[in-house]
Amino acid sequence: MKLDLAADTPPLLVCVGSGGVGKTTLASAMGLISAQAGHDTLVMTFDPSLRLKDTLGVGDPADTGSGAAAEQEQEVRVAFDAPGTLHASLLDARRTFDRLVARHAPDDAARERILRNPYYDHLAGHLGGILEYMAVERLYEVAQEGRYQRIILDTPPARQAIDFLEAPQRIVSFLDSGALKIALRRWFDEDGRLMPSRSLGFLGRGVERFLDKIVGLKLLRDMSEFFQAFEPLFAGFRQRAAEVEKLLAASSTQFLLVAGPGESRNPDTLFFARKLQEAGWNLGPIVVNRVHPTFSHAEDARSVSAAAEDSVGKDPVGDDETARQGRELFAWLGQRHRQGLSALRALLPADQIVAEMPLEPDEPTDLESLLAMGESLHRRLTHPPR
Amino acid sequence: MSESSAEREPSHGLLTRQLLVVTGKGGVGKSAMTAALGHSLAARGRRTLVLEIDPRENLHQLLDVPPSGGAIVPVGERLFLQNLKPKDVVDWVVADRVPIGMVVRRIKQSAVYERFAEGAPGLKEVAILGHCLRAVRGEIEDAPRIDTVVLDAPATGHGIYLLTAARLFAEAIGEGPMATLAREAADFVAGEEAGVVVVTLAEELPVDESLELRQSLVDRFGRQPDLLIANGVYPPLPADDGSTAGAEPEGDPLLALWRRRRRVNEHELARLVERWKGPRVTVPLLPIDPGPTLVRALRGKVDDQLDQALASERAATEDGAMESA
Repeated sequence: MKLDLAADTPPLLVCVGSGGVGKTTLASAMGLISAQAGHDTLVMTFDPSLRLKDTLGVGDPADTGSGAAAEQEQEVRVAFDAPGTLHASLLDARRTFDRLVARHAPDDAARERILRNPYYDHLAGHLGGILEYMAVERLYEVAQEGRYQRIILDTPPARQAIDFLEAPQRIVSFLDSGALKIALRRWFDEDGRLMPSRSLGFLGRGVERFLDKIVGLKLLRDMSEFFQAFEPLFAGFRQRAAEVEKLLAASSTQFLLVAGPGESRNPDTLFFARKLQEAGWNLGPIVVNRVHPTFSHAEDARSVSAAAEDSVGKDPVGDDETARQGRELFAWLGQRHRQGLSALRALLPADQIVAEMPLEPDEPTDLESLLAMGESLHRRLTHPPR
Repeated sequence: MSESSAEREPSHGLLTRQLLVVTGKGGVGKSAMTAALGHSLAARGRRTLVLEIDPRENLHQLLDVPPSGGAIVPVGERLFLQNLKPKDVVDWVVADRVPIGMVVRRIKQSAVYERFAEGAPGLKEVAILGHCLRAVRGEIEDAPRIDTVVLDAPATGHGIYLLTAARLFAEAIGEGPMATLAREAADFVAGEEAGVVVVTLAEELPVDESLELRQSLVDRFGRQPDLLIANGVYPPLPADDGSTAGAEPEGDPLLALWRRRRRVNEHELARLVERWKGPRVTVPLLPIDPGPTLVRALRGKVDDQLDQALASERAATEDGAMESA
């Protein structure tokens, strides 16, 4: 599927990919192009580098005292003079979760019971994929408000990248699971003793005994209290997750997959592309980022690897040798990255757009250079080489 | 607690630790470095187990052995590899602590257990650390007693979680055999037996993360990592690199790219030097594909600089001892 940032669609663009491939910078660069084409655009990111924050002019709340923390999710207008406006916001998953609890809790007492439960702290950070889920939850929130013509979401660095994609489904399945129903049972009598259970029969008694014996009861007590406090929220939460899921699968939402260069990254890229398609989501172009250029006068790469293996541990002698080894290194990198790209293209359907972004000498440090990067990407996306 | 008084010097660290947690941002070459470190420690006399958690096994390729399939497999003299599935360890604990086979089977088949074993926050981490503990105590059946476990840990943010989860879990549980295991694991990672090795690229985000991880370790454990490995550093340019008195050369894009990349590396290395006390190793970007050859080459680089780093560290510690005497 082609991606034209100047066109009216897609209103929603989700950038995915493994950590450390330059996703956030590309998302911001695309934001500039989109605004330049006249679309009021929001770029939502996790964890951008200080440099990128400086470039966009979205400050680091941690630097400006406690009062500013509440403004973390505020959308900051980027000082970019274009037909469309550009805003950027930093996502905070935990804050989104807290807000979700606050919104769905029936009353203040219920909210406080949840937020103060020791297990909430534990769970909020580590229930598989919950942070990832919160990213899409926030996206949904903003999308519903309809203040932007285009939202570009930069997904969080996922432990296994796929956590993010499966998060809404996982939340639903967790909420529907037997584990939850069991956690919701009244486990303890008023004195905090484990209540006898007949309904679960022998199996249940075995499991209870296991939990008692192996896990101990304090965790179970906290968990049980937590889920009971959380129960009134489940209906809203569940429905919400289903709607988020629908938004991701909508034909108006497009996914841009950003990958690192080199053949060793290809399995990750292919895995990701396949997962996206299996989920029925619209995979847009794949962008292979930071591809080492090939230089015409560089050494023949084939001999480089062998030479490098011979010279490992030996210090380069003199400038000529340093220069030669450096050129060899660059030749090798360029050649390996080319090879990785052809291997990737060969493994993908012919109509899959694979755009490559060259490794630039400098990372963008101002809006001008970020825009240049955006234009370069836009050109490659609208006029793909194949 | 001020940083200077809270921090323990990473004395003799690497060579006497029973557990080395190797962590770093994705894509920094952590696994290859873990393999190199494993070789290096084994060669220095430590019976070493390289432990991989990622179900997409790749360390066996780097160490040039068949996939471990969950077992401990010998790689070379004093060097072993295992791909660990944390769930197996949880299963083992159940089987070990619940003596009746039929009950064990029923427990394992129950949906509650499945959810618990997969999802209880911190349980997986406790299982991994508990396994490391058993390995160095020589308690694993059909396996030798291990001197050092080198753990290829998850990416940085989750790496610190690996270290803190056991304590959280122990506190959440409070009582019972699983709590005992969690407490032992928590004491193990907090004690002198365990150390952290951070692998990074000399680029902005990975360096930021490494510095954050260091701070986090100082704050939570009162100590810093044993070693920082800056990987994939572009080589220095020849003195005569075609540039004259500050002007960028127009003609040679290769040299221009090389110079800029090197400058980024140098800038970030300088930032590290400023804020990172303790041993550091810088490893150049090598034109070698991931595999045993790369691991051998990395090991050569690590060995050389490790000796130097340890020697200068010893000298510094002795100086410090003399000053305080």
